Amino acid sequence: MQRVRQGSLVLVVLVLWQVLAGAGDDNLLISSPMAILKYLAEHRVVLARATLETSKNAGLGFLWGNLAAVILAGCIIVVPSSGRFVSAVALLVFSVPLIASGPILRVLYGPGIGPQVTLAALAVYYTTFLALLVGLRAVPRSWVDLVAIYGHGPLVTLAKVRARASLPYLFAGLQIAAPAAFLGAMIGEFTGAERGLGVLTLRAMRGLETDATWTLAGLSALISILAYAALGRFRDWVVGYRPVILLSPPNEAGGRSRLMRLIEAPLIILLVLAIWQLSMDLAGLNSFFAKRPGDIWMFLREAAHRETLFAAMGQTLVLALPGYIAGLFLGAGLAALLVLVPAAATATMPVAVALRSVPIITTAPLLLLAFGRGAVGTIVVVAVMIFFPTLVACLQGLRQTPGQIADVFSSYGASRLRLLVFAQIPAMLPAFFASARMAIPAALLAVTTAEWLATGKGIGVLMALTASTSNYNMLWSCVVLLCVVSAGSYAVLSFCERALLRVYASEQVV
Amino acid sequence: MPGIEVSCEDIRKSFGATDAVSPFTVTFTAGSTTALLGPSGCGKSTILRMIAGLERPDAGRIAIGGESPKVVARRGGLAMAFQDPSLLPWRSVRSNIALGAELARKPADRVEHLIDLVGLSGFAGHRPAELSGGMRQRAAIARSLISNPDLLLLDEPFGAVDAMTRRRLNADLPPVWSETGATAILVTHSVDEALLLSDRILVLSARPARIVSDIPVDLPSGAHQRNSEAEAYRAIRSGVLNALEETF
Repeated sequence: MQRVRQGSLVLVVLVLWQVLAGAGDDNLLISSPMAILKYLAEHRVVLARATLETSKNAGLGFLWGNLAAVILAGCIIVVPSSGRFVSAVALLVFSVPLIASGPILRVLYGPGIGPQVTLAALAVYYTTFLALLVGLRAVPRSWVDLVAIYGHGPLVTLAKVRARASLPYLFAGLQIAAPAAFLGAMIGEFTGAERGLGVLTLRAMRGLETDATWTLAGLSALISILAYAALGRFRDWVVGYRPVILLSPPNEAGGRSRLMRLIEAPLIILLVLAIWQLSMDLAGLNSFFAKRPGDIWMFLREAAHRETLFAAMGQTLVLALPGYIAGLFLGAGLAALLVLVPAAATATMPVAVALRSVPIITTAPLLLLAFGRGAVGTIVVVAVMIFFPTLVACLQGLRQTPGQIADVFSSYGASRLRLLVFAQIPAMLPAFFASARMAIPAALLAVTTAEWLATGKGIGVLMALTASTSNYNMLWSCVVLLCVVSAGSYAVLSFCERALLRVYASEQVV
Repeated sequence: MPGIEVSCEDIRKSFGATDAVSPFTVTFTAGSTTALLGPSGCGKSTILRMIAGLERPDAGRIAIGGESPKVVARRGGLAMAFQDPSLLPWRSVRSNIALGAELARKPADRVEHLIDLVGLSGFAGHRPAELSGGMRQRAAIARSLISNPDLLLLDEPFGAVDAMTRRRLNADLPPVWSETGATAILVTHSVDEALLLSDRILVLSARPARIVSDIPVDLPSGAHQRNSEAEAYRAIRSGVLNALEETF
């Protein structure tokens, strides 16, 4: 019965879509399902080849990125003192928008699939790392004691207990990683590849080919959703159950001394600068395109350079911030509203989960077609990028309200609204902040992508221009500034989060 | 085997500004079962965890058969049962019990025998989620016994089960662990449990823990032989209750 209902719903949507698309004689915004099918049939060979190419690149990146995530998380568990540094560096690298690292990787690798695979790996490693780390740490203390009582250390605990216990979390990370890998591979293809769905998307966008854009978007979204669903099935088979997973940062064991707190941030910055300098030197990369920290410092001492850079960043932030806030609060707000009507929440969840797994690159061209290539279109792209992950996380967060607390409210005959305001929203806050954190790099990625594809302004365009004119000092400066903005926003958000959670979810604050 | 003497000499432990255990000295004789009884949060579990090597004392010395807890742990001479059965949910009952032998690097050839002994025949292939609370606790006790430890530490192992199940476990399980002859130290909140299971009761003060009273339980060995209506039982019980009252 459920299947019949879902099938009918899909049919209704397809018919409405067809009618809507046929409303204008020369509809440049919406392609009809029939037009998409026609395009698919006519270009099946090219599309199949491109799909295979992008899937191969995404698959390789998925493997490498997740392998890196597993190694990093394993290192932290075996050597807990490395945790804060490894986490900070991992976050900083993840903060670099793919649009920023793409041109640099293209220069470093030259032609070939290197940038696509690396970008796919960069797009996936952090979410898997975070999910896995939460899972590896989320074991009851008595399980760890059980192993310690026989004289074993962290390695045996990892092998016998933590690794298996973290599987549900690992799969949650892998599910988010699958569409992200596809997104990374497509951005890599944007930077000058010869084949792949990314190349076709760029061509379709620039040629204002609506049918092609819709077909490519649909195809990429379909593959991502299929990968997401396949991993879910595999998880159900391996793990046997479907846990609710919130990607809140794991609590660090033990407090830090005042001295450590003071020197931690400068130490991390120094470490990142050292890794940057040493990796370039050890790889023997030409300083013409592989800029070192010193080069950027010298470059930015010129006031004119700083002005250009900050002006572009200003143009970007003016669009990124409203999009970020709109996406975040619309996602959380809709989740809160949906929970007032539980049947609606249950029905929305699978749709939201499916839409969350659609890579932004595939939807950005459609949104820009629909909302225009100006500020509104860009803000919408950013908001949509953030909206679905936030909605899913907040719906899950709202369900975390302890049953006993809900019972107390019911016993006093409290209304649903009262329960929402006084119990469910506070319970949702950790999930809200977890998505707000993950949304920072996502917003920067979305805004730079939209700028690059459409608006012709902002740091996304500055990067594209400087990459094509070999102005590598400015390109690297853009990357550094984006990292600083990302890390700074992350720090501000963490501060607000700690202040708020101290009141509403003190167990989350160390 | 086994049974081994455990001695604590002037051990102390504090967490930040809070003293959990003040200088604490005691010897547990080989093969004995001693119950640690005291108010909530007095430091009983901390003492047990220090003996297990899970916490390091700030001062003092713990010796198990003349060796440090870590050394004894490494050769598989220790086992512990927790308040939470701590069974790994992805393993069957059999595999969870065998884990004790795996971790102690000892053969798991007694698994079936122990499954019978704790009354879980027919459930060996079940996952923990398919068992009742009492059955899970039996499996946890079997896991702690499979390595044939010299020292068995029991941290309120029946604290999370209902009164009837607890009563039955109190009656059924002690013969199982007394079969091994291990020295046993039991942390409990229940005076009757302490009287049924142990041959010595240490009543501890409120935090920081120190010994208020050291009461021998001169009753017939084995819970089945101990009659709570008997004069001797009631006399010891009243002594323990009086000592406990002093701690509040």
